[in-house]
Amino acid sequence: MCFGCCGCCSAFRPRYKRFVDNIFPVYPQDGLVKNNMEKLTFYALSSPEKLDRIGEYMYQRAARDIYRRRYGFVIIAMEAMDQLLLACHAPALNLFVESFLKMVQKLLESTEPELQILATQSFVKFANIEEDTPSYHRRYDFFVSKFSAMCHSSEGDQIRIAGIKGLQAVVRKTVSDDLVENIWEPVHMDKIVPSLLFNMQNARFLNNEAKEVIPEDQTDPPMLAETCLRELVGRASFGHIRAVLKPVLKHFDLHKLWAPEDNPNNNEFAIHTFRIIMFSIQAQYSYTVVETLVAHLDDNAKSSPIIRTSISGVLSKIIAIAAGESVGPMVLEIINSLLCHLRDSVKHGTSMTEEKQYQDALINALGEFANHLPDYQKIEIMMFIMSKIPFPLVDNHTPADNLLQSILLKSLLKVGTKYQTIHLNSTFPVSFLEPLLRMSLAPDPEMRLLVQKILHTLLDRHQNLEKLTKPTVNVSKLNLVLEKSSRPDLIFINKHGPIIYDALYTTLQMDSNTPDNVEAVYTTLALLCVELASAETVIDLLQLVLGIQSLALNSTTLSTSQKFNLHALVISLLVLIPSVVTIPPLLEYANQIVEARTQEAPHLLPDLMVHYPQDSEVANKVPHLLVDQMAVCENLKSGGIDPSRLAQTSPYGAGGPGVVIGGQRNSWIETARGSVIDINAPPEVDSVSSSPGVQRKMVEEELTFESMKKVLTESVEIRKEAEARRRKQLSDTFRTATFSELVRRTQPKHDVLQNKLNEIFKSLSANDRRNPTEEKKIEKPAYEQNFPELFFY
Amino acid sequence: MDDYKFLFKVVLVGNAGVGKTCLVRRFTQGLFPPGQGATIGVDFMIKTVDVDNEKVKLQIWDTAGQERFRSITQSYYRSAHALILVYDISCQPTFDCLPDWLREIEEYASSKVLRVLVGNKIDREDREIPTHVGEEFAERHNMYFLETSAKEAENVERLFMQIAEDLMKQARSRDLPRYDASTTNINGRTSTVSDSNCCSRFQ
Repeated sequence: MCFGCCGCCSAFRPRYKRFVDNIFPVYPQDGLVKNNMEKLTFYALSSPEKLDRIGEYMYQRAARDIYRRRYGFVIIAMEAMDQLLLACHAPALNLFVESFLKMVQKLLESTEPELQILATQSFVKFANIEEDTPSYHRRYDFFVSKFSAMCHSSEGDQIRIAGIKGLQAVVRKTVSDDLVENIWEPVHMDKIVPSLLFNMQNARFLNNEAKEVIPEDQTDPPMLAETCLRELVGRASFGHIRAVLKPVLKHFDLHKLWAPEDNPNNNEFAIHTFRIIMFSIQAQYSYTVVETLVAHLDDNAKSSPIIRTSISGVLSKIIAIAAGESVGPMVLEIINSLLCHLRDSVKHGTSMTEEKQYQDALINALGEFANHLPDYQKIEIMMFIMSKIPFPLVDNHTPADNLLQSILLKSLLKVGTKYQTIHLNSTFPVSFLEPLLRMSLAPDPEMRLLVQKILHTLLDRHQNLEKLTKPTVNVSKLNLVLEKSSRPDLIFINKHGPIIYDALYTTLQMDSNTPDNVEAVYTTLALLCVELASAETVIDLLQLVLGIQSLALNSTTLSTSQKFNLHALVISLLVLIPSVVTIPPLLEYANQIVEARTQEAPHLLPDLMVHYPQDSEVANKVPHLLVDQMAVCENLKSGGIDPSRLAQTSPYGAGGPGVVIGGQRNSWIETARGSVIDINAPPEVDSVSSSPGVQRKMVEEELTFESMKKVLTESVEIRKEAEARRRKQLSDTFRTATFSELVRRTQPKHDVLQNKLNEIFKSLSANDRRNPTEEKKIEKPAYEQNFPELFFY
Repeated sequence: MDDYKFLFKVVLVGNAGVGKTCLVRRFTQGLFPPGQGATIGVDFMIKTVDVDNEKVKLQIWDTAGQERFRSITQSYYRSAHALILVYDISCQPTFDCLPDWLREIEEYASSKVLRVLVGNKIDREDREIPTHVGEEFAERHNMYFLETSAKEAENVERLFMQIAEDLMKQARSRDLPRYDASTTNINGRTSTVSDSNCCSRFQ
């Protein structure tokens, strides 16, 4: 056979060389000689042992052509090699591939963009072929390096696209084959990942500048890079995730992508990237990303708050995606870490707005995280957060502690909002309820409000919260969603009702309450009433309502407007309770009072105000406008409910001496010291008196008891002393003075005594209905008024 | 043609604007690009040179000096056979950064990598770093030292040829195992080739 064009000398060349030579046309622009290419393919297929030599020869030709800058022939050679590669599936392909890759590398090494792109295309084709024989010695590091470099090319999108495609091909080729190079080595990942990110981010900037340029096809670098990243992350196994994430974080740090310089609050790209990672990562590993990000936050503890805000912002955006898959111990770890960051932030970041934003971002992240956890874990988390809150029990708490408290409460609220209560007893385990109620007595009104809000969101199961935010007497307009409360709920309220009511009652005694606080307590009570509507609970509630009324009447510390607020709260509840539990007579009675108040004393009705008109009459002077215990009892009886318990004793105000003493002592301290530092005592006393099942701290109880005893004994001695002195003085006077002088002297003295008595009686006027056994209690405030300095114990 | 005996990877590092890209282009293409922009990421050039009648292929990776690209450039140190650390003799800050660069090299590059310190732009009148200062620094850190000018093509060829020769000697010493490794003393330094894949030999 003679394939003519090279004349006679070609006859002496090996056959395969002749075949190869013949595929090249005389002029490169003519393109591959198809006819001869088919012959070459056939030859290669029929004698596969020659394939490696063909490859080698073609490579040498191409190398020469590149050297001589005859690029047309180079392109043809590459095309021929592609075809051979696709056509041959023999085991001999392995050796041919060596030449093929050498060829690709050669082309990539040239400075011609065209050849580089061509080489990449060939490489991609090669990557899509599945080889059946492993190649132990093949190395791809040049390709990774070169393609990564191409990704950064400033010579236009084409080279970049080629680079990205090349990387994608390398990943595809190596990922599935364990025997070839480990693409997950940091050596490679450190090149691949930043190159992809660089392209994604770069085009994003361009997009911002010229949005009207719509990429005509799918092949714009950012899209492609994104796809490639997805693929990469999707293929990563557990051990490799970090290898991918590390360069990502590093890239973000170095390129300042957490907070871009031109727009520090725009971390969209970071969010975008991490969402991509989260969505493409194999679900069971997704928490690793969160973990890594949290760890990165640790590393950045000293960076600017903006960066930290951004990282936690990203965290809050992606945490949701991970939460569904996360496993037990991880959850608390992440929460703990977030809480630690919060604490750190509170500790050294004072009041900078950025630091505040950072805290908000962290709280958001917490909330998002909790949002996507199963409910039982939410409770766990709430308890966990609760356990982290520094309690006001500690006397020497700093402003930072205060801030931390409120921030943690905010996080708690955030978590709570995401929680759907089903059974109250599972929502409020004692270990959670107790500290929460203790927090509800915090000295800071803001904090008390927060606690109430937490209670609201946890109590509200029927979306009644919105309707009950403000006290109102028009209950029928509210369209409350009611449901008969279940057995477990009733058990819950029977068991824990007292401590809840006590806490609420004590909260209302605080003289730092704003109308907001009172409203919040109303909402809590209203929700309790709505959620646990039943004949059994109604007595307890009414007891509390009456207790609050007597508090409003008798308290010596609350301001007049605060008292008015309480009255409004009382009447609102009194209307609400019978409408929820359906006790028509009681409802009627309540409405009567409302009507009477509307006419005579509108300030005793909602809405609550901070300042009331000057001429508003004190409620004590209008007894007919108050809720009368006897009337309530009667109405209850006619409504078919046994009021005997209500009539007997009340743990609040009217009945239990402990509560009132505690309350008054507490409020007295408040006025004396200006702030409540020692608020631990009153709730303890309350618990003692009304909830025997609740544990309390013995030391504190003793202290209270001891101190009270001390107060009492001391005051008695002093009183005796004073009396003795006065008696002596009196007798002296009577012995020495003249009659007229005596008359003159006794006259004003008598007045003074009278005044004093009047004063005392006036201050205790509300107590006159109490039974005489309470003398001890009445005694005490009188002493307080007479000898205030003695109470500084 | 393509029958090179050795392949060496050479990586250029140094602050932005010291003339890394210009050095590479002067060497590989013989030209001095006047308005050379900042390199983005990494650039790549290749040049085959003759050393002792042997063909030696130099893969030259030219890295971006800007800090934001540090993540990608660092990954290129690792596989380098030689690192050229460039500073600008007319710009004190670029010299002051050298310890930082060395620290990076220690961290990311192979410990046996051939390191060369280059003071570029000697064509400039406003020299700030005297030659002996650069020399002393290089000596202290066990590096070669050379001052070049990409613009005037001074010492550029010499720089790369020197590197090629040294790397070849290193490779040879490893290639001929009957000689004791410690006797291969190159300019007072004992060096062996870092890893097995550093010299790829073809044919």
